[in-house]
Amino acid sequence: MKHDNDNRWLDPMLERHIRREIEPFDFEKWAETHPDEARLLRNGYKDSDQNAKTKTYEIWRFIMESKVTRYSAAAAIILAMTFVLFGPSWAPGNGSVVLANVQQKVAEIDTMIIRGQKIFKHPGKDGEVFNFDGTKCVFDLVKYMSKEHGFVEEGYADGNLFYRITFNLSKKQTLIIFPPYKKYLTFPSMESVATIIENFTTPNGAIDLLLEGDYKKLGKDKIDGVEVEGFEFQAVESIKKILPKTVLDIQDYTGKIWIGIEDQLPVRVEGDLCIGKSFMSMFNDLNLREVNVLDKVNIEIDKDTFDIEPPDSYTEVTLSDILQMIPVEAKAGLAGLGILPVGFIAWKKRRKKKGTVAKQ
Amino acid sequence: MRDDIGSMKDLEDRNLVQRALKADPASFGELCRRYYPSLVAVADSILLDHHLAEDAAQETLAAACRQLPKLRKPEQFGPWVVAICRNIARDMLRERQRQRKPVKICQGDQCDSEQADDHKAILAEAVQKLPGHLREIVFLRFYNEMSYRQIAKVLDATEQAIDGRLRRAKKKIAIYMKTKGFRR
Repeated sequence: MKHDNDNRWLDPMLERHIRREIEPFDFEKWAETHPDEARLLRNGYKDSDQNAKTKTYEIWRFIMESKVTRYSAAAAIILAMTFVLFGPSWAPGNGSVVLANVQQKVAEIDTMIIRGQKIFKHPGKDGEVFNFDGTKCVFDLVKYMSKEHGFVEEGYADGNLFYRITFNLSKKQTLIIFPPYKKYLTFPSMESVATIIENFTTPNGAIDLLLEGDYKKLGKDKIDGVEVEGFEFQAVESIKKILPKTVLDIQDYTGKIWIGIEDQLPVRVEGDLCIGKSFMSMFNDLNLREVNVLDKVNIEIDKDTFDIEPPDSYTEVTLSDILQMIPVEAKAGLAGLGILPVGFIAWKKRRKKKGTVAKQ
Repeated sequence: MRDDIGSMKDLEDRNLVQRALKADPASFGELCRRYYPSLVAVADSILLDHHLAEDAAQETLAAACRQLPKLRKPEQFGPWVVAICRNIARDMLRERQRQRKPVKICQGDQCDSEQADDHKAILAEAVQKLPGHLREIVFLRFYNEMSYRQIAKVLDATEQAIDGRLRRAKKKIAIYMKTKGFRR
């Protein structure tokens, strides 16, 4: 393994300059100066081992049990991010960023605030933004995550709160409010669905799923003055099939994660999804682009932020409310899939002729 | 006891991690002995201070001990503990930079005039100017005469990759030294 151009003349100089005598490691002495760790080693990890596994599992459950997460169009991005951040130790190569470090660093985070933007666009229409009942679907996002309390995502359209999703971890209950309509939706976690998905993609198997597809290093860059290294993940068949196509038809996606070289924490997560006509896209073909930036970590987040009591003046979303928002051809699609009876749609169409329901 | 240690030396990292997790401190001790020199070298490549590097290596092993249950691939203990070490050393470097003024690095003409005939100083400067990942390889190779095989194991890379990186590092050092007037 010697080459002509390996500058061997430098070897003796480097040896003199760098060589150090390292004292043999004295484990007894180390144990004396690190009594807590020594105790851990003596007593075994039976409790802490369990805790560590449970913690990862809880984060996984917290993501997977959230109907919002599972059923939202951003599911694949979150999943891709989760695979990287909470998957088993994994160190691809020896670049500036070792993903095993990132996993470890993220595992130490108890709370975080993420800011970002979510844009839904029509494919093939020169990037025309999807319009939902008069609102352009460009949402500025603020997300609050707490290992202890749960997850909140706020979506602002033109500076006004359009939706707020709250998943309360301890109550295993989700609340979605739509302030422009003064409507709310609340539901418990669907254990049966969660179990199927968990079995399909456990944290241990998740990384294998990710590696099933191609990933590539994007090299180094700077984001807001922070030196980062990027990774890009391509579509993975198993993830595309994670939900029935009728519910969420992910036809393609690409995820990019930019990790700070100094702090080994994710600085920015980007995702591009192509979603086919499905329930989650209200039977529209849509492209979703979401960008998330890690804003703050391990800060105090008030427990009330994760409150799941709907505001007093709000009323619950009904099937009638949803049907008003769905295009006629989509309703036919729903009926065709057996989600809705054809007669019910026809009846709603007749009623709608009498007048539309205005925003409250 | 001596037999235990002797037999432990033959055990794979994976077995040692598994035993350490089951209340066997000696297994963790063996892992420490195996990787401590590499950790000191890696930390020194970042901190450029041998004594601080030893402290960083000790702290790394404490962190590794606490985080051991989170290690999903026990056979990857080496790369994992080295990654922890890099983080700890970088944290220490940041802390040191906050407390002190940064070390004055000679530049351009100033160095030429003051240290042109000082080969050691030029070499030190050349090493210091290497990108972190190349400096790390140089330190691992020359700190304690680690073999390519050992380095490859610690960094989870092939021996060929290690050889390539080392050659790149030495080429950069040689170029830098020549630009500073060094002649063989």
